[in-house]
Amino acid sequence: MTCRTLTPRQTLLRSIAVLALSAMGAGTSLADTRSVETAYGPVTVNGQPERVVTLYEGALDTTLAVDANPVGAVITRGGSDVADYIKSRAGDIAIVGAPAETNIEAVISVRPDLILAAPRTNEQQYQLLSRIAPVIVSDVPMFQPDSWERETRLFAKALGKEEAAEQVIAKVESRIGEVAALVEARIPEAQRDATLVRWMPQGPLVMAEGLFSASILQAVGFRIDDNDLVKEGRPHSEPLSLENLSSMDQSWVFLATLNEDGDKALEAARQSAAFARLDAVEHDRVITVSGQLWTSATGPLAVLAILDDIEAAVTAIQP
Amino acid sequence: MLNALSPTSVVASRAFFPPLLAAGFLLLLVVLASLLYGAGPVSASNAMAALMANGTEEAWFVVTELRLPRTIIALITGLALGLAGALLQSMTRNPLAEPGLLGVSAGSGFAVALAILLGATTATLTTLAAQLGALAGCALVIAATRVQGLGNDPVRLVLAGATMTGLLLALTSMLMLMDQRAADEIRFWITGSVAGKPLSMLWATLPSITLALVLIAIVARPLAAMALGEKAAVGLGHHPGRIRFLITFTVALLVGSATALAGPLIFVGLVVPFIARAFSGPDIRKTLLLCVPVGPAVVLGADVLSRLIAAPAEMPLGVVTALIGAPVLLAIVRAGRMPSL
Amino acid sequence: MPDKRNTLVNTALLGLLVLATIISLATGTVQVSLFDTLRALAGQADPMTDFVINELRLSRVIAGLLSGAALAMAGCLMQTLARNRLATPGIIGIDNAATAFAVASVVGVGLSLAPSAMALAGAAAATAIAFGLAGANGTRGYRFIVAGIGIGAIAGAVTQVMLSRVAIDAANAAYPWTVGSLNARSGQSVLVLGLGLAAGHLILMSLSRALNTLQFTDAVAIALGTRLKATRIIGLGLAVMLTGLAVSVCGPVGLIALLAPELARALCRPGKVPLTAAALAGASFMLVADLLGRTLFAPLEIPVGIITAIVGSPYLLWILLRPSPRSLT
Repeated sequence: MTCRTLTPRQTLLRSIAVLALSAMGAGTSLADTRSVETAYGPVTVNGQPERVVTLYEGALDTTLAVDANPVGAVITRGGSDVADYIKSRAGDIAIVGAPAETNIEAVISVRPDLILAAPRTNEQQYQLLSRIAPVIVSDVPMFQPDSWERETRLFAKALGKEEAAEQVIAKVESRIGEVAALVEARIPEAQRDATLVRWMPQGPLVMAEGLFSASILQAVGFRIDDNDLVKEGRPHSEPLSLENLSSMDQSWVFLATLNEDGDKALEAARQSAAFARLDAVEHDRVITVSGQLWTSATGPLAVLAILDDIEAAVTAIQP
Repeated sequence: MLNALSPTSVVASRAFFPPLLAAGFLLLLVVLASLLYGAGPVSASNAMAALMANGTEEAWFVVTELRLPRTIIALITGLALGLAGALLQSMTRNPLAEPGLLGVSAGSGFAVALAILLGATTATLTTLAAQLGALAGCALVIAATRVQGLGNDPVRLVLAGATMTGLLLALTSMLMLMDQRAADEIRFWITGSVAGKPLSMLWATLPSITLALVLIAIVARPLAAMALGEKAAVGLGHHPGRIRFLITFTVALLVGSATALAGPLIFVGLVVPFIARAFSGPDIRKTLLLCVPVGPAVVLGADVLSRLIAAPAEMPLGVVTALIGAPVLLAIVRAGRMPSL
Repeated sequence: MPDKRNTLVNTALLGLLVLATIISLATGTVQVSLFDTLRALAGQADPMTDFVINELRLSRVIAGLLSGAALAMAGCLMQTLARNRLATPGIIGIDNAATAFAVASVVGVGLSLAPSAMALAGAAAATAIAFGLAGANGTRGYRFIVAGIGIGAIAGAVTQVMLSRVAIDAANAAYPWTVGSLNARSGQSVLVLGLGLAAGHLILMSLSRALNTLQFTDAVAIALGTRLKATRIIGLGLAVMLTGLAVSVCGPVGLIALLAPELARALCRPGKVPLTAAALAGASFMLVADLLGRTLFAPLEIPVGIITAIVGSPYLLWILLRPSPRSLT
């Protein structure tokens, strides 16, 4: 299932469905028990969890999007706190580890009643965590265009916030439609090929075409092709030789940064003569984007933030 | 006897000329290879056509803007490290003395990591940090050799250097743990590479390298005299203490510049003098002269290899030099006796 | 009667170890009082405290104990065999080689044997190469050491290449372990290490007399009835096995193999090889280093290998750089 643009009629039908569900939901008791399908089999969750620990950025995103209450989270990859785009919404949340290394004692000390874990959490870790609270390990395959949507629904089910999730998803999809229309209007078909890279002095890391942000770009009408440079299951390629920049010579280059300072990254890249020759550089189509948001985060709020970035970039160009 | 070995007569000496010529020729070959071969789609024949002003625009760009600067930087790095190694080995009279093994490169690396952590990005700043780090490392090495009993025990010095390197690497690791963002940059830098380095970095190191070359010219003859023993050297009118200080400073300039350009590269300062000495014998001046073509040839050759074995990516240069240099070290050991200095 | 001093030292070291163990168990992100720690060990605390102490923390402490003891014993053995207080398995590159092989297994390159087996293979390979290159002098020549530096460098470079070619998450997870850390241990490796340590200890007990005679010259040792070659081979084999297994649990924490036997030798009566004291000291060092790493910059965790390097290297430098009339070799 791909993200498609919705016609006004479809949007209306969706809203009616959501309202109907909410009406039904209001009548259901809050203390219901439900079974959630995870990578380690069905897990039973009772009632509405009040203290949720998220060991995965997508889970934190979803939890905040549906207004559940996360009390613990892991830091974003390459940073020292949760991702910037979500920091203010997360507030004063406790940090319980890094993506690769959860500090289990820190998880225990925030007394969770539900743990939302990362996909590919290993068995040993899973067993340990299960002793503390029910653990939801997503079984949604990664790097698919609809991965984020399915994950959102999964986590929302565990949180007991399925109606809220549907509302959020509907809102996101309509926003996708808006930006797609903008892209269609302002960028000719032939110039919609794009690539997402992170720039290292020795050469660029090309991001996989199945990456979350890449799939959003595709949903709004850009074409992404990583030229088979990225191995199966990996988020990005190795640093390409500077002689191979033809592999990233698309019309649009989204340049993800290691730190927040996009200008610095652009300056560093411009030092390289090979970079300056790229088509996108000559036509001023290089957009610096936050690495945390574009290469590490996932989830409905992340989609909205990315769409804002895309909209700003598309609006800024001279037609 | 020493007067007969004035610079001109060294070069004119018949036994010495062929190796020098051969080394120079080899260097030219490697330079050509460096311009012709790379990890990208511009093939050797394209590049050759570009050199003859007959090629495509892309080939011209790749050869002049990508491969040429890289070649020059690799050449200078090789020159600096080769000379530094030869100087250090002569001064400590230890054939295993090598800036990488003795912790000078690691000290340089630590200083640059610290600089990156504190936010430095300009070429001059990192060059300065690298040189200061190298100077500190050198000073420690010299202090170590002054300790009694260490002078005639080559292994102990190397062990001390290995320990020093271990300590500095641990400190660098700690820096990387403290700041994840700097860590990524530092990790890529510390493996050693000449890819993508801007020529501006070269200009920043050129003053130091020039100064170092001048100092070598000054210090070469006294150093040769010191090989006869300190008393003999004093008798001939030299000041060993001053000479040692000058050499330390020179090595620091050279290693600092090389590290600033290419990151810490180990074993180069071992391999190059080893090869040079095989042809030049114990005279330090001949060795230094031979290091001039051999050093760049080794580093540039390693760089060409690094482009070819992992296309479309590139193997980091530091890994290639380690993989080449370590067997050479083992060969030295296997050879049965320590080559005399 | 002459053994009274050694027994005293061993008891004191054991006491230190127990203290270090209990403090390690009581320290962590979850606040557990000392009293509750002891109750948990006795099986009388509430389920969550029991979980934290007996499952989360105890396994880490045991891994630290065993690997520290194994490394120290291996170091002590090598120093006795080489008659050189600075001989450690790390010096001949065994640490790095074992790490390289184990990393290969962890990140899925090459054979898919368990990390323990791979680490052993790496250690054995490095030793074989070092010996092959050292020639007749064996462990008592300089070539052994220099060969080790070369092997260590190659292994280090290979590890780096492997880490740079796998997915960034796997590389980040493996990285702290390559500098020595108790975080990424696997239960299976710890078990194998425990078994290896037990077996090694048994063998060493029967070998202790022979080892003690090695402190004299070869001629004297033979006169005392020691079978030199057999002793050397078994001793070296044990050192390699212990190091390989320890590395598969905690990565290359080489300086323990130097520091612990030094302490043991300083405390014990000279004349006997202080294997037990070294093992106890090594276990304590490992736990203390891990404790420091966890608490000094909390919540940041410094791997135990870095702590031992920062603390131990200056000491080693001091030994190396002190003026001494005798050459090292």
